[in-house]
Amino acid sequence: MLILPNVTLMKVLLQQVVINDPRSAFHGSTKDILIADGKLLRIDDAIEMADVRTINVEGAVVSPGWVDPFSHFNDPGTEHKETLESGAAAAAAGGFTTVFVIPNTKPAIDTKSTVEYIAAKSTHLPVSILPIGAVTRNTEGKELAEMYDMRASGAIAFSDGIRPVQSAGLLVKALQYVKAFDGVIIQVPDDTSLAPHGLIHEGIISTRLGLPGKPMMAEELVVARDIKLARYADSHIHFTGISSPKSIEYVRRAKEGGLKVSCSVTPYHLFFCDEDLLNYDTNLKVNPPLRSRNDMLALREAVLNGWVDCIATHHQPHDYDAKVLEFEYAKFGMIGLESAFSAVHSVLPDLSSEQLAYLFSINARRIFGIADAIIEEGSAAEITIYNPDESIKFDKAMIQSKCHNSPFIGQELRGKIIGVVSGIKTSFTHSR
Amino acid sequence: MQLSTKHLLGIRDLLPQDIQTILDTATQFKEVLQRPIKKVPSLRDVTIVNLFYENSTRTRISFELAEKRLSADTINFSSSGSSVSKGETLLDTVNNILSMKVDMVVMRHSASGAPHFLAKHIPAAIVNAGDGINEHPTQALLDAFSIREKLGTLEGSKIAIIGDIMHSRVALSNIYLLKKMGAEVMVAGPPTLIPKHMAEAFDVKVEYNLKKALEWCDVANVLRIQLERQNQVLFSSLREYNLAYGVKKSMLDNLNKEILIMHPGPINRGVELDSDVADSHHSLILQQVENGVAVRMAVLYLLAGRGES
Repeated sequence: MLILPNVTLMKVLLQQVVINDPRSAFHGSTKDILIADGKLLRIDDAIEMADVRTINVEGAVVSPGWVDPFSHFNDPGTEHKETLESGAAAAAAGGFTTVFVIPNTKPAIDTKSTVEYIAAKSTHLPVSILPIGAVTRNTEGKELAEMYDMRASGAIAFSDGIRPVQSAGLLVKALQYVKAFDGVIIQVPDDTSLAPHGLIHEGIISTRLGLPGKPMMAEELVVARDIKLARYADSHIHFTGISSPKSIEYVRRAKEGGLKVSCSVTPYHLFFCDEDLLNYDTNLKVNPPLRSRNDMLALREAVLNGWVDCIATHHQPHDYDAKVLEFEYAKFGMIGLESAFSAVHSVLPDLSSEQLAYLFSINARRIFGIADAIIEEGSAAEITIYNPDESIKFDKAMIQSKCHNSPFIGQELRGKIIGVVSGIKTSFTHSR
Repeated sequence: MQLSTKHLLGIRDLLPQDIQTILDTATQFKEVLQRPIKKVPSLRDVTIVNLFYENSTRTRISFELAEKRLSADTINFSSSGSSVSKGETLLDTVNNILSMKVDMVVMRHSASGAPHFLAKHIPAAIVNAGDGINEHPTQALLDAFSIREKLGTLEGSKIAIIGDIMHSRVALSNIYLLKKMGAEVMVAGPPTLIPKHMAEAFDVKVEYNLKKALEWCDVANVLRIQLERQNQVLFSSLREYNLAYGVKKSMLDNLNKEILIMHPGPINRGVELDSDVADSHHSLILQQVENGVAVRMAVLYLLAGRGES
């Protein structure tokens, strides 16, 4: 069946929206924005125009389009969990105009042809989908994949995704290799030789629950090691899904030392901690695992202090049969695109709107070298429209993903997505 | 008398009065088991399935005997030779069995939290007969029953749990129970077999020296080395384990007091326990097995709601 995307070519008029783009002269002002032909045609106090689709929502804020630098769309290979179409719909519902998809597909995104498959299949979708090429063939961590060729075909960055590169020797070569074309390597920091059977964070809760623990050191060792490798190779590494306050400290010191090191955290590491696992909820089984309450609070503090560059959803759809199981047998990961903003905004109400724009958009655009999406007249239309103050009860109806493995279902959250515009394509969840 | 919970998933969820109730009820059933006719009609209309996803000899027999002594109807299921080997999920298997009108499920499973998962999805009462490295609540109850029988009380008694703490559901259930009942607990063994956060998680003493542990305790509960559950090298050889942590008769003879030796079975003779210790007057091992039936009768009886007056 062909799924028709929510795409329109007509003109859109956003009325009385607050512009949230610290780089724009309009930052902080309330304006009307006329969008046509994929451009922000006019920005003015009040625009009168017939034959336009008018969006007028009380309290609406416009930000440069949000970027999720780490999502799993399972396409090709496990399309019963997600496809590029359903993933794109989920991204639009979550306010993202750009999503990086990880290469843990079947076959893996490790050649030009898979990169091109994703690019070709995504052109008509409501958001930009940018493939992350594998560092190694079939993400097996053995031989380097053809990264030069993949980059030339549109791979945005390189990573072995949820199977991070273990060998230091191989990773340093990869870092050197991508330097030639300003590539960035993304790592989920995890030394899999430490507690290979670990299911949750090793600590008081894992001990009390009788579940094999995974020490925080498994993450910190890789962060510390890979920073050294990036220094040696003089290349750029981006850590994603960081959960340890110590990792943040290492990244911070590396940045102070002038190294090309950056990092993302997930909404769920900010929202949940291992205490939430007391009921063995498999939707909370993720890797890196949910840490202790103090670690979670320290991570929130780190975001507030500006030590974290991006929010990455680590969206990982799993069908009922992969999650409604004994905890040990359930798969790792949760979906996260639709709930990302509301989750972060709910636990970090003190985050300024400028910080939100940097975390969700501007930093990722700078780190990975994608169009800056500045909100000015004549710029390409690449925007997210949201209402930070509206409360929602997150429910299944808000999920566009094929899977419902989300512990946010039923949570009262703050912040609602109104819509996204990506070039000539618009998607609105809320219009009048 | 009734329990505060519908299931027995673990000692973690029990209140001290629940434990007291179970132990007191078990005392009555132990008396029943001494009679010429060892059977009572208490669970005559109750059907129980024994669902064993993992091998077991003594626990399975003990549950089955307890059920039969209570006149329950029983069905036995083991994962080998069943539809599980054809790939059926736990939930499907159990729902199929329940649709044949079964009231209680006794389950052993290799995954921690499996009975908790089941409890969220099915209406029957569940008794955990051991889940992964999490809990084995009826073992802890029968251990407590046996200690109480010998020492008169659990409160203030000093219990050392010795051996492979990391892979032992018996250890965890015992710790929960003993702490709730006011006993002092020490865990002892090689550091590679003791979870790093033990002391903070449970307020127990941690000891790496066997001799010191034996000198401290009133009761030594010696655990089986879980050879089947170790997927990493945690000690170099069984010989070396016996050298450092095997309980030997000479050690007990050199103590200036009498201590009791317990073991949940099956024993690896010559590894964690030498034969002359297992068979000595210190040993409570066979009493534990005997008490197991009475304790399990008490648990089934109370969960079936028969404790209500």
